[in-house]
Amino acid sequence: MDQVERLMERPMLYNNVDGVGELGMGFMFLSYALFEWFQINSPANAIWHRTGVFVVYVGLMATAIHYGSKAIKTHITYPRTGYVEYRKRPRKHSMNWGGMAIGAGVGVLCCAGIALVHWPHWSVTTLAALIGLVIAAYYAYRFARSVRWKWAVASAMALCSLAITLLPADLVGAKGWSTLFPDNFEWAWLLSTLLYGTILLISGGISFVLYLRHTQPAAETAE
Amino acid sequence: MNRTTQKISELDRVIHEPGRLMIVALLSAVEQADFLYLQHETEMNKGTLSSHLSKLEVAGYIEVTKTYRGKIPQTLLRLTVEGRQAFAQYRRRMKEAL
Repeated sequence: MDQVERLMERPMLYNNVDGVGELGMGFMFLSYALFEWFQINSPANAIWHRTGVFVVYVGLMATAIHYGSKAIKTHITYPRTGYVEYRKRPRKHSMNWGGMAIGAGVGVLCCAGIALVHWPHWSVTTLAALIGLVIAAYYAYRFARSVRWKWAVASAMALCSLAITLLPADLVGAKGWSTLFPDNFEWAWLLSTLLYGTILLISGGISFVLYLRHTQPAAETAE
Repeated sequence: MNRTTQKISELDRVIHEPGRLMIVALLSAVEQADFLYLQHETEMNKGTLSSHLSKLEVAGYIEVTKTYRGKIPQTLLRLTVEGRQAFAQYRRRMKEAL
């Protein structure tokens, strides 16, 4: 029965068979890094510090990721290895509990994070490393289970996250623009998003090239 | 006939065949998928896959929709409510038997 259970997980893993999931996540992290860079390197009254601009920026980024992924799936993936439509209505009880548990976990993590960065004995880079470890764990669960070499990517993400904690304070300790977070928060966030985005884009790019190499568009014959 | 033997004999024969079990397990996790996806995942040839799909369709476990993706014909497959119930029952009985 274990084999049947594994088989039932395959459609979910199929979502990233072409590396598009990772490319999308990598693009998202690099977009956040770019926005953070604009914020750090612009005067306090610049448009980059307005909430509305951030909302529009995130909206444009999400639209680009959604339609970009859809275009690749429609024109490349579906003609080669088939079309899958995922279930819209989640299973009633287990998924609701799962969603609530994830929401509660993220909420606790955010609260703990904000409390920790304001606690003088904790470095903000430690928080960045913790977030990085969570992202690496998510990556391992979501992507690395299907392809063995992606465990190396997950390990690289975890190691790089830990390396951020070892960086000299003056490298990530520059004066930030926000009053809500400690001075070096923006730089730690910029460094982390740059790192995760680059790793995910490289990994997704390799997956995409390998997918194109190992698959061919199906012949137009009757089924 | 002991209890385990009885449980095994009660298994749904339509689903129990390995090829059809693969198809039903894959379709149970999605809303719908096309023929090409099932062929890619199960590594069956077109003839064998079509034969299994016909048996599942006759049993009322799957719904087959013929459509087009652009100019290319596409066969969409979806597990019916009866199919989902039969698969759930099959898994339950199999676990009890094991």
